[in-house]
Amino acid sequence: MSTINFAAREINCKIVYYGPGMSGKTTNLKHVFSKVPAQLRGEMVSLATEDERTLFFDFLPLDLGSVQGFKTRFHLYTVPGQVFYNASRKLILRGVDGIVFVADSAPNRLRANAESMRNLRENLAEHGIDVRDVPIVLQVNKRDIEGALPTDMIRAVIDPKKELTLFEATAHNGGGVFETLKSVSRLVLDRLAQNK
Amino acid sequence: MIEPSLALYGDAFERVDRHLEELLAATGVRYCLLVDRKGFVLSHKEALWAPRPPALDSVATLVASNAAATAALANMLGERTFSEQTHQGENGTLYVESVGDSALLTLIFDGSVPLGRVKVHTKKTIGQLAAILKELQDAPPIQLGEDFSHGATALLDDLFG
Repeated sequence: MSTINFAAREINCKIVYYGPGMSGKTTNLKHVFSKVPAQLRGEMVSLATEDERTLFFDFLPLDLGSVQGFKTRFHLYTVPGQVFYNASRKLILRGVDGIVFVADSAPNRLRANAESMRNLRENLAEHGIDVRDVPIVLQVNKRDIEGALPTDMIRAVIDPKKELTLFEATAHNGGGVFETLKSVSRLVLDRLAQNK
Repeated sequence: MIEPSLALYGDAFERVDRHLEELLAATGVRYCLLVDRKGFVLSHKEALWAPRPPALDSVATLVASNAAATAALANMLGERTFSEQTHQGENGTLYVESVGDSALLTLIFDGSVPLGRVKVHTKKTIGQLAAILKELQDAPPIQLGEDFSHGATALLDDLFG
């Protein structure tokens, strides 16, 4: 649950972008960073390898403004998508308030999407939490690539019961980025208001 | 909910503040931060003479992530935890010590401050802070309610369209 500092009148929420390697998680954050007014965002921290793969995480603090006198702030994180960085992914999930699952539309990434969702369930379970207890939004990214798989097919392997709100996106040009962020933010703040 | 929330307010916040102020004076460090395990700053103090601090959000996030990674390493090596971390550079030092299971006390200082002095005073402060944070675990849950939800939605509409 969010960290609330009554004395400083601050509410902080942690949102994590999860998904397979190269699905566009960092690109989402870079777009948010480039479009949000400078006074509302902090520095973007990227711990990446030389070829710009996320090594540990990317981090972007975002101020929403004041709600009922509380300065409300989101901390946006990405996790490294590559399979072998699972220890890092598990650490970044610590204390998560909301998740954006970024799926890749490329035909050869269907299995990677499914494995990443299974990995998310397992990592949450290791923190003692059921995947249904965290607000999650599904973003199907790279809709503009040639041969992009039908959204329904991708959803069938990630969210067969159609429980998650889904957004199509082309994060490299910003399509769907803010719609996704707004949706997960709303879910997180609603839960906070319901004291869950 | 993965982690319990830390709601720092009222008398507890003031006492935390006071202990950080005392620690700052006793050690001569530049900055002193209490950070929760999720990487949020709960309280911070800086010496009057200190230069403008770096982005505290980022410092807190990296300190918490580093502590989490160090704890994972400790487990792999058969330790319950490594309770402190010291990073020494040419001109400055970052010293981080656990405050129970919920927070991290972080001190940043220059070469004129002996690490030994910092460790001695930090130990004492940690005992005091841990007791306060333990009290907070029994505090009643926070009620924000419908109005908060409506206000937050309006903000999201403004910011994200």
